[in-house]
Amino acid sequence: MKDTIICRCEEVTLGELEELAKKHHSSARELKLLSRAGMGFCGGRTCRQAVDRVLTSITKKDPTDALPLKVAPPVRPMSLVDLGGAAKDE
Amino acid sequence: MQVYDAVIIGAGPAGLAAAIQCRENNLNVVVLDEYPKAGGRLLGQLYQEPDGTWWNGIEESKALETKAEQLDTDIRLGVSVHHIETLDNQFVVHTKKENFTTKNVIIATGAAESPVPVPGWTLPGVMSIGAAQVMTNVHRVKVGEKGIIVGINVLSAAIAQELHLAGIELHSMVLPAKHIISGEQANPRKVIDDLSRVAHLAPSKFIQFGSKFAKYKWAQNLALQFYPKNGIKMWEMPIHLRKAIKQINGTEKVESVTLVDVTADGEIVEHSEEEVQVDFVCIAGGLYPLAELAAVVGCPFQYSEELGGHVPIHNERMETPIPGIYVAGNITGIESAKVAREQGIVAGLSIAKKESDSPDIIEEKLQTAIENVKATRKAATIQFHPNIPEGRANVSAAFSKIIDEQKTETTKEKIS
Repeated sequence: MKDTIICRCEEVTLGELEELAKKHHSSARELKLLSRAGMGFCGGRTCRQAVDRVLTSITKKDPTDALPLKVAPPVRPMSLVDLGGAAKDE
Repeated sequence: MQVYDAVIIGAGPAGLAAAIQCRENNLNVVVLDEYPKAGGRLLGQLYQEPDGTWWNGIEESKALETKAEQLDTDIRLGVSVHHIETLDNQFVVHTKKENFTTKNVIIATGAAESPVPVPGWTLPGVMSIGAAQVMTNVHRVKVGEKGIIVGINVLSAAIAQELHLAGIELHSMVLPAKHIISGEQANPRKVIDDLSRVAHLAPSKFIQFGSKFAKYKWAQNLALQFYPKNGIKMWEMPIHLRKAIKQINGTEKVESVTLVDVTADGEIVEHSEEEVQVDFVCIAGGLYPLAELAAVVGCPFQYSEELGGHVPIHNERMETPIPGIYVAGNITGIESAKVAREQGIVAGLSIAKKESDSPDIIEEKLQTAIENVKATRKAATIQFHPNIPEGRANVSAAFSKIIDEQKTETTKEKIS
């Protein structure tokens, strides 16, 4: 199970997440920045829940009302051309 | 530059129902959806109601779309929204090609799946149960020759029936193995308890299955203790509450899975490995509200297990604490498409009232629509969690608390 990939985009395994979380006593956000889990192409849409669960089970803390992983735009994969002002106002 | 009365994000049952209400009140709206077809997850749904009639999502979706079109609704498909920017009393909805300036936004983005990771799950041939549903019912593509479903819940049972109807062979339904992420989904006691509680509301065949376990704990314990080795059959497919998937095997693609026996508490029984040849695996880990855009625009959230995860705080009128931002459908909690549709009506009327010169007339309709949401929830065939009304009440309370705090702040400012 340790070798199972959790974040598919950034290829982060369960073992890596557990190790980092224990070593640094990380919050969800810190774990994301340390491992890049949830920071790939899909923006965390696939692994967000799994990463949260790894954390709640390591820290033994119930999920809080605040979103564990911050959401930042763009929330969908975008090309730089589309982001760079090519979009027109309707 | 034109300013819309409302931009509706999501053309599923909630978004389309909201758009119809807006157009009936002559509002200038645009509906955006990134999928090439309107209907959202309605498109995949096909199940038998307890009264024997069939719920066909494609037909339901067509009916909504046709009505919206008759009202000259501007529906744009294949358009991904990636950001909502806040200006003074206005919002700019950013898409890949155009930006839409609007007074109000309804976020009706639905839900996403949370598949439980299984060793080997990145092999081609492994998919979420929702992907199998879309491929089968929408694209009419056969997902494989023989498969297995991991995860036993109302959603996976409903989709298993759809796959069976499409003539796809399924080896069985099993649990995920117990680990840090699968949690309660791997616990036979929890699964049997959930199944027995939703059984009276589930599609007809599933009732027969769920009600086998009755509501009594002692009966459930007995059922788990003496659970048949060959599983209990539904649609010619065994359901195994005492077997779990340990691993998915293959080099280039799925070739087989390794199953293990588990105890009534989900602990793996040693040396019980068994290899089963399959060419596809569906993982059913449940749904969570897809609320990225609500987060980006600054909505406060509440965690609710009953509603499927973090939901943007809102009231019965589908208003969020941010004036001009509304939510409807599964983003507010995982429920059936019928509830989503009624919530869409409420959101549409809320905006119509806000923009109207005679709000009192609309208020009356709005009250009826709010009651309809509750009635629909009560009668829902597929209920994803037994305590949905409790979760709803907590979110409404959180909304009132925020509004009260805002009022106190304003009063303090006035005094000082």
